[in-house]
Amino acid sequence: MAGAEPLLSVSGLGVFFGGGPDEVQATKDIDFAVYPGERVGIVGESGCGKTVTGLALLGLLPPATTRIVGSAMFEGQNLIGLSRDRLRRVRGRKISMIFQEPMSALDPVFTIGQQIGETIRTHFGASKAQARERAIDALASVGIPSPARVHDSYPHQLSGGMRQRAMIAIALVCEPRLLIADEPTTALDVTIQAQIIDLLLDLSTRNGTALLFITHDLGVIAETCTRMLTMYAGQVVEDAMVDDALVRPLHPYTSGLLRSLPRLSERGTVLPSIAGRVPTLRDMPTGCRFAERCAHRQVGCDQAQSIARIDATHRVRCHRHADFVLPGALTEREAAA
Amino acid sequence: MLELAGITKHYRTRNGVVRAVEDVSFTVPPKGTMALVGESGCGKTTIAKIILQLERPISGTVRFEGADIATMSRAALHAYRRQVAAVFQDPYSSLNPRLRVHRIIAEPILAHERPGRAALDKRIAEVLDIVGLPATAATLYPHEFSGGQRQRIAIARALALQPRLMVLDEPVSALDVSIRAQVLNLLQDIQAEFGLTYLIIAHDLALVEHFSSDVAVIYLGRVAESGPTEPVFANPRHPYTQALLAAVPLPDPDHVLSETAATGEIASALNPPSGCRFHPRCPHVFAPCPATVPPAYPAGAGHHVACHLLKDSPA
Repeated sequence: MAGAEPLLSVSGLGVFFGGGPDEVQATKDIDFAVYPGERVGIVGESGCGKTVTGLALLGLLPPATTRIVGSAMFEGQNLIGLSRDRLRRVRGRKISMIFQEPMSALDPVFTIGQQIGETIRTHFGASKAQARERAIDALASVGIPSPARVHDSYPHQLSGGMRQRAMIAIALVCEPRLLIADEPTTALDVTIQAQIIDLLLDLSTRNGTALLFITHDLGVIAETCTRMLTMYAGQVVEDAMVDDALVRPLHPYTSGLLRSLPRLSERGTVLPSIAGRVPTLRDMPTGCRFAERCAHRQVGCDQAQSIARIDATHRVRCHRHADFVLPGALTEREAAA
Repeated sequence: MLELAGITKHYRTRNGVVRAVEDVSFTVPPKGTMALVGESGCGKTTIAKIILQLERPISGTVRFEGADIATMSRAALHAYRRQVAAVFQDPYSSLNPRLRVHRIIAEPILAHERPGRAALDKRIAEVLDIVGLPATAATLYPHEFSGGQRQRIAIARALALQPRLMVLDEPVSALDVSIRAQVLNLLQDIQAEFGLTYLIIAHDLALVEHFSSDVAVIYLGRVAESGPTEPVFANPRHPYTQALLAAVPLPDPDHVLSETAATGEIASALNPPSGCRFHPRCPHVFAPCPATVPPAYPAGAGHHVACHLLKDSPA
């Protein structure tokens, strides 16, 4: 991606909840960039801050109880602190977001057509007839077999897979530059998930839409993204090309996650597990946040870790990264074959 | 150990009859781990409920060590319930939030026995120890634990009566990825130590392959393919099993996901397709598929495949 300007450049992003003496910090020093047309995954466990990061970019966190620091530059303007009017012109038009559970993200009292039409009319001022035509085209483009019928259906009349397709149609109808997808396939069955992943890849390639794919599923990241950010306890701990991260992870947490997955080819063996649990927001260690669960902990891990650049595409937040070679998702035999 | 034969369960609803489970038969070998896999709505949880006697089938029999549970005497049924325990998916809803852990684990014990206070406390401390929790955990409430620890409490409760069969309904899918391996390892350790038989319900195929000795792949209430896990996963013969395996996203840079293995949507159990229920999505569909329900053709040791393709090319 050298030479190109990033589409989105996030730096020092931190989200605080609560305010006053009870304020807790949900994410800290989030730095990353997404280039035009690039597909970037954010992987991490629940509570690691991946969804909060997506919501913060779009100004969707409740302003009364949230404080956001840092910046997120998108096409020359900082999304953080943007006025509501200006944000509204970005949201849905330049950046869209889709969510895990389409049943709760879609409005149950409006038809699918009314919900797509609202987006079209808000951003393009089209007439009702034009909006209908464009909405039906959008539904057809996401592989919905009878788009006119679905246009006039309510969300509850559709299957989970069709609802997710409809949500993708709403998100993409204005041809945004960036689509933030928050666990878009987690609620779906595996054969339907494969169809939706294929659709997202196809649409992203065809329209040059960049994808920020938030998920806990490393398999889904591997199938969809070219680069992945691993988040742990509110921080990015590793930023690497997916192929590098899977085979040669540099952070012990990324390696631990990959090793702990049960795999299609190994039966009956003891799974390498990560001991302990994620620290809570109220007792976040001042040093490395993963240290307590890390098999490689040593002197120096009690110091706050900065994220170090290893090469043009790989960064890691671990001062010991040069001391060891960590196993990835593939066994040595598989990697050699 | 456990044998299901011809189990059928329909539910009457306002919109018609939901054919949730249709003519399902399988055998769970003693000390083995039988996995039921399939997509949501395929009937796997209904089957578990029938085994746990939370639902009654409209036809078919469930035999536990040769005895039909539908015709058991009250005393035999009481003994059956003591030998079969369950762990459910969501430890946030399967544990009563208003009870302390001590009471949660004591309840099944007190339903069957009258131990003294000291003996009860000792038993509770023992099962907590087995699942890796300190005895002091008994004095706390479920909300004071993380998701992984709560699932350990649910496992401790299931172990309290020293069951012989444990029904595990999606035991780790509500847990965080880094916690899942801990709980799966714990379940494997417990099985080896106490010689338990497991029936696990899961949609995660990698987990099933890792964890189970035998598997039944269910599609819309019918068994599509069953047998020992190794041959079924190494050489899947049913197009649905093939599609399921091809659709699993893998953390492998060289893996290519196949989205075309099963096209279209899962049909509704309200109005299931005729003949083979998978035929509208099947890439190999031919004349007999919509017409007749395929029987389970043998395809090697213990391996059965309900697909017309096997009629002329058996094992």
